[in-house]
Amino acid sequence: MKSGPQSAAAVVELDGLSVRLGGRPVLSDLHASLAGRAIGLLGPNGAGKTTLLRTLLDFFHPSAGGARVLGQEITGNGKELRGGIGYMPESDAFIAGQTAVRFVRLMAELSGLPPRAALERAHETLFYVGLGEARYRRIGTFSTGMKQMVKLAQALAHGPRLLMLDEPTNGLDPPARSRMLELIRDIRDRGETHILLSSHLLADVESVCDEVLILKQGRVAACCNLTEQRRANRSFVELELTSAAPGFGEALAGLGCEVALAGDRRLKLVMPHAVAVRDLFQVAARHQAAIRRLDCKRDSLQDIFLRAMEDDRGGV
Amino acid sequence: MAVYERAWRPYAGRLTPIGRRFLVVTRYALAEAFSSRLFTAFYAACFLPSLLALFLIYISHNLALLEQLGLTREFMGGLTLVFFRLLFLWQAIPGFFLMAILAPSLIAPDLANSALPLYLSRPIDRRDYVLGKLAVLFLVVSPPTWVMGIALFLLQAVEEGGGWGVTNWRIALAYLVGHLVWILVISLLGLAISAWVRYRPAALGALFALLFVLSAFGSAVNGITGSSIGDVVHLTRAVASVVQHLFGAPTSSGLPVAVNWLTLAAVGLLSIVVLNRKLRAHEVVR
Repeated sequence: MKSGPQSAAAVVELDGLSVRLGGRPVLSDLHASLAGRAIGLLGPNGAGKTTLLRTLLDFFHPSAGGARVLGQEITGNGKELRGGIGYMPESDAFIAGQTAVRFVRLMAELSGLPPRAALERAHETLFYVGLGEARYRRIGTFSTGMKQMVKLAQALAHGPRLLMLDEPTNGLDPPARSRMLELIRDIRDRGETHILLSSHLLADVESVCDEVLILKQGRVAACCNLTEQRRANRSFVELELTSAAPGFGEALAGLGCEVALAGDRRLKLVMPHAVAVRDLFQVAARHQAAIRRLDCKRDSLQDIFLRAMEDDRGGV
Repeated sequence: MAVYERAWRPYAGRLTPIGRRFLVVTRYALAEAFSSRLFTAFYAACFLPSLLALFLIYISHNLALLEQLGLTREFMGGLTLVFFRLLFLWQAIPGFFLMAILAPSLIAPDLANSALPLYLSRPIDRRDYVLGKLAVLFLVVSPPTWVMGIALFLLQAVEEGGGWGVTNWRIALAYLVGHLVWILVISLLGLAISAWVRYRPAALGALFALLFVLSAFGSAVNGITGSSIGDVVHLTRAVASVVQHLFGAPTSSGLPVAVNWLTLAAVGLLSIVVLNRKLRAHEVVR
């Protein structure tokens, strides 16, 4: 893959990346160039998010195509590439019998930090993630939330340029989840580290990421810049009528709305800036359409996600 | 940065050379092994045969002491090839137990706790990981075996003088090559079983079982066929024959020494294949 001027700033570039595992295609012909400070990987379970992360870490070899992370090809540069990456795996992963500080220090040393610096940063990072008081406890005695935090600490300790987080809020209760997301946002806002967050939780991705890649059955279903989407600030309306009103949908389309019918009494609209809710009521009055329910909301990641998931079925 | 600031910063300091990164794995595993007092005590005990041999070499060259004790220099038949062969055996047995105790604890806990993705998401690969773990066994087992053996050989050569060292060079060769082969084969086998079984006590049991089963099977085949063909899978006999050959003594196996070497090479290669299949950041379910 050639790197053009645009791809020089890209964090992750996928160039027809395909991966087969156990003879099955898991990722197929992925194309994307992601340059956000925090990039979300979204998709239902089994969409290939974790496989993509592992492929970017050079755990799996592409069956076709290629990918670049921080400007480096993933194949053949595994060690150099991983030196700049911090990875927090999805499942429980630790070294038996070790205290948190020893574990994080070991991971930092494996990433190339000299022993003294690794020890210093292990302490700092554990305090940063809120495990300062528990840093001399064995990880085996930690709760799920603490284990998630120690996994984040080991991914951070060596000061990576790219932080790969695989379902970081898995198994966390609401306060712990909130704390984890707060930490991730803090890391993002420091501006030194890019974040690649894989999750099936839309709210997590929406609260952290500025760019999102949506995967579905191993293919790219959508790739969008959330910041721009938010800036566009489109309004979505869901209408339900008491009875069918012929011509109502066409009249709304005449106003400039994008209209999708969900049955003969339910409509979903995307309203342009010039149109207000009051205009909808006026059109309804002209067509003698009685509105039973009206939900109005801004364009959210959920809409983008649902559209991406529904695209294959021809929309609503 | 003071820890109370609870902040995080990128790292901009010096990095250690990437080629020596596997030694971090070794260092931590060594510290883990010697954190057990029982293991440390056993390790110290592994030096006893060599210390006893040192004492005997000292006595045999201390004519005044021998005279006081009423002994002659030939009190134990002289420090002959037999003496060093016996010493080799008494070094190799505790060396084997060291490896048997240590090897299963090196990989099995990492696999049981899914730690491999953590190791392999760093700038080390599977080869570095195995090398790091092998180095632990090498560093632990070497001092009480071949290092002490060569040291005693040199001491005896210096004390004896008169070209004893040159005449008996095969002793040094046997100590160096014999122990290194023994360490390498058993270490690889132990690590492979550890990677396969993933449960430390079971891995320890499996290592002993495999050695005994292979030996028993080999002996049974020999008994049934009335030949030495069973020695092909008789691992301990293969090692013994190779070492005996290195000492220049008659071998206990009925097969040519080349076949014994091939048996050891096959066990080593098979272990590497198992390690290659089992040590992956993530298993692929087919």
